[in-house]
Amino acid sequence: MQQILYLIQKEFRQVFRDPSMLFIIFFAPIVQTTVLGLAITVDVKNIQTVITDYDNSTASLAIRRKFKNNPYFSVSGYVESPVQLREKMDGWGAQLAIVIPSHFERDLVRSQQPAIQVIVDGVDGNSAGIALGYALGVLSDYTIDVAMANPALAFSARRIPLVAPLARMWYNLDLESKNYMVPGLIAVLLTMVSLFLSSMGLVREKELGTLEQLMVTPIKTWQLILGKVSPFLILGFLGLAMMLLVAFVVFQLKVAGSLVLLFGLSALFLLTTLGLGILVSTLAHTQQQAMFISWFFMVFLVFMSGFLFPIKNMPHWVQLLTYLNPMRYFIIILREIFLKGSSLKFLLNEIFALVLFASTILTLSSLRFQKRVS
Amino acid sequence: MKFAPSNQPYDTGNFAVFTKNLEKQFGSFTAVKHVNLAVEQGEIFGFLGANGAGKTTAIRMLCGLLLPTSGSGTVAGFDVWRESEKIKQNIGYMSQKFSLYNDLTLAENVEFYGGVYGLNRKTIKEKRHELLDSLGLTASAGRLTRDMPLGYKQRLALGCALLHNPKIIFLDEPTAGVDPEARRNFWELIHELADKGKTVFVTTHYMDEAEYCNRVSIMYQGEIVALGSPQSLRHEYKKASMADVFIKLVDK
Amino acid sequence: MSRIFPIIIKEFIHISRDFRTLIVVIVLPVVMLFLYGFAINMEIQNINMLVLDHSNSPESSSLIRKFSGSDFYTVLPFDGTEAEIETIFANREADMALILAGDFAAEHARSPETTVQILIDASDPNAAQAIRNYTNTVIQFYNMAHGAKPSFEITPTVWYNPSLKSAYFFVPGLAALILIMISALLTSVAIVREKETGTMEQILVSPVRPVEIIIGKVVPYIILAFLDLIIILNIAYFVFDVPFVGSLGLLIFCSLLFIFTSLSLGLFISTKARAQQVAMMMALVATLLPTVMLSGFMFPLSSLPAPLRVLSHLVPARYYLVIIRGIMLKGNHFLQLLPQVLALAGMAIVLMVVSARKFKTNLEG
Repeated sequence: MQQILYLIQKEFRQVFRDPSMLFIIFFAPIVQTTVLGLAITVDVKNIQTVITDYDNSTASLAIRRKFKNNPYFSVSGYVESPVQLREKMDGWGAQLAIVIPSHFERDLVRSQQPAIQVIVDGVDGNSAGIALGYALGVLSDYTIDVAMANPALAFSARRIPLVAPLARMWYNLDLESKNYMVPGLIAVLLTMVSLFLSSMGLVREKELGTLEQLMVTPIKTWQLILGKVSPFLILGFLGLAMMLLVAFVVFQLKVAGSLVLLFGLSALFLLTTLGLGILVSTLAHTQQQAMFISWFFMVFLVFMSGFLFPIKNMPHWVQLLTYLNPMRYFIIILREIFLKGSSLKFLLNEIFALVLFASTILTLSSLRFQKRVS
Repeated sequence: MKFAPSNQPYDTGNFAVFTKNLEKQFGSFTAVKHVNLAVEQGEIFGFLGANGAGKTTAIRMLCGLLLPTSGSGTVAGFDVWRESEKIKQNIGYMSQKFSLYNDLTLAENVEFYGGVYGLNRKTIKEKRHELLDSLGLTASAGRLTRDMPLGYKQRLALGCALLHNPKIIFLDEPTAGVDPEARRNFWELIHELADKGKTVFVTTHYMDEAEYCNRVSIMYQGEIVALGSPQSLRHEYKKASMADVFIKLVDK
Repeated sequence: MSRIFPIIIKEFIHISRDFRTLIVVIVLPVVMLFLYGFAINMEIQNINMLVLDHSNSPESSSLIRKFSGSDFYTVLPFDGTEAEIETIFANREADMALILAGDFAAEHARSPETTVQILIDASDPNAAQAIRNYTNTVIQFYNMAHGAKPSFEITPTVWYNPSLKSAYFFVPGLAALILIMISALLTSVAIVREKETGTMEQILVSPVRPVEIIIGKVVPYIILAFLDLIIILNIAYFVFDVPFVGSLGLLIFCSLLFIFTSLSLGLFISTKARAQQVAMMMALVATLLPTVMLSGFMFPLSSLPAPLRVLSHLVPARYYLVIIRGIMLKGNHFLQLLPQVLALAGMAIVLMVVSARKFKTNLEG
């Protein structure tokens, strides 16, 4: 036990003596959580919109005003012809175009169902879909306006019964993506720091030759691993605490559930990533290789975690692969505790999976990490 | 092999290091071939050879850092195959790189290695004073190791490897890259250790250093090509210096 | 000039000996391409819908049938109370709930507008948004089937990517990511490695001029980056059917410009960093993260907060993404891309001049 304490003490002395390490461990998570939390948004705002109005009537003006006053749209201008419109869209000057046909008002009054065209730049398919949805919303809003202002024009509302949906959003009333993204981001940053630091830390000792020196001491393999892992566990906790603070101060995000549970399960997850770091260190001879191998792992971990891309929508075989990704479970845990305040009993499956991963990876890495040189 | 101690009674416990046909292969490359050694307790045993002759591989097998491919051996009476952890409790080892942490102070390095060897706090404190004192480094105890001259680092590293009072000490190229004066000082230190009854197993590629050893073995391409005291080897090959002996052996 | 070749050859030998780096350079891009191309789909496909039908009438059944008839919904009939929905959401067994009140049929007959309650688990706001849109559409279809007629029609048209395929968006974007990864990240690390191991000094005392050293170090990575570009374009075109509307020559020209800009960035980083670990971290912070986050690679620039939107003008990939997507999907010609080309060229020149100065003083000092 005492041997482990000395290892931990040594590790802390080294970390606190190296400014760039301090930067990576403390400053980077704060900056990254802030900047990335602000940047990672699937919200679609400021949709660049142009309007082609062939009618120039009271009705078409009303529609133009509707878009102008809507915070999601930023109407950048009016174009005169299809050729101009094409140029504008080709040149990235607009993402959305509304084309109001001539005689729009007249046909509206005559109940001839004129057609408004909504053109969207589909390059970014996801945003395009959302922008289209917003535009349709604005236009159907207008439908109601028309009906209210002129019951004669209303689509026979009094004769035909309608079903109107009233949607309520649970857990995230304003549909703010930061509520969803920041917990995920915390998981990603925690993985990144713990994986890179533990793998590179061990390989650095390999490069310097100090690991060989440790290997000829009577210290046990598990003591050595524990001594290398615990400091990073503690540093991970510090980083986590700081990211929670950023979440609260910058994003007004409070953890709805139990903090103790959050930290406890984070420890479980950190054991997994730190174990993975040790495993990586046994595969690498130089820090550069350790970096690249860790990076390779990171790409898969992040991609298949459901952080950015919903797992549900992946092809079946990829979905099966995601079950092998410890981060998948941790992201669920963080989001649930953060947003829903879920208690232990709702997370049992995820916890079980993480326990399985932590023990498997730690066993595997202790087996590979022998007190011998290769 | 005429140097093989085959006529010795097979009581390996009497020897600090004893090997029989110890061999190590990396893939198809044989780094160490049929090494037979019997190092007496209290002896300074030199392990000579050019770079890449297999010295480091051999020493790593003896320290329990590397499993042999075949053959047998004991260190301090413990088997290299099965009892490597027991071996580690009884040996000190210093690698070519000195293995101190450059970003720790001298005192912190001593404390750390003392802790890893499982000494208690009190002993560590005593040993730290004793060691830094004997090296004349008490005033520099709080300095970072990276700022110290190589000669000091080397002696401190040796001190760290001796904190747990081992019976046998393995030194892998301890004098590589150190200036001649520091090299001589270091060999004086080795002799002091031998006087205290410790066995010193040292590798070097400086042939002049062979003269400081009780016995030497010369390794060439993984094999031991000569073994004996420096005087007897010079006599046998009719050369004035060990360097000439070495060149003659290698030229064959 | 002939003195450069030994350096180039040496660098290639380094790269080809280092098996793990080679994997990163060749295999990782291809793997990422396939993952992004095949596995990303932001569309919601299967919505698990709890239905609390307190009405149990022909009218309510008819509405529910509209949902169960759609490919997107899995209808889960539910007898419990509304409080129990909470537990089901917490267990992630359903994404939404449709609640039909006991007087649904009566209201439907009597009043012009009958409200149905919809609860959506919005912990994923993107999905929640989509679920709400789908649900509204289904209900609209139900209304239309019962005779409602809107006062005007809306005809949505999608240009450039009519089926809204994610691959059209991500695959060209990945080219930017991979190019900057190789040209900025690998070069900076490679140069700092030589500094760290002291081999840089060895080269510096030889009669080779600093410019030649830089060129020699950089050329292999240009070639590697270019190789990756060719691989990406082929996979994009032949595997993912991403259209290629514009001019290939223009794309190659602009890509070389982008590679050049990225290399300048890598050189700039290498003049600043002394240790590989530091170079790696700086390169990550200066290249990879902004390229993923602040370039429009994944998240629309227009949605960024204003300060970050300003900052994004400093990210080279921002311009290259417009170029590559513009050429491949929209058939942009040179004049349309002139602002982007000028921005990239300007950045490259500034970075080159600054790092050349730095490099020189480093050598002399």
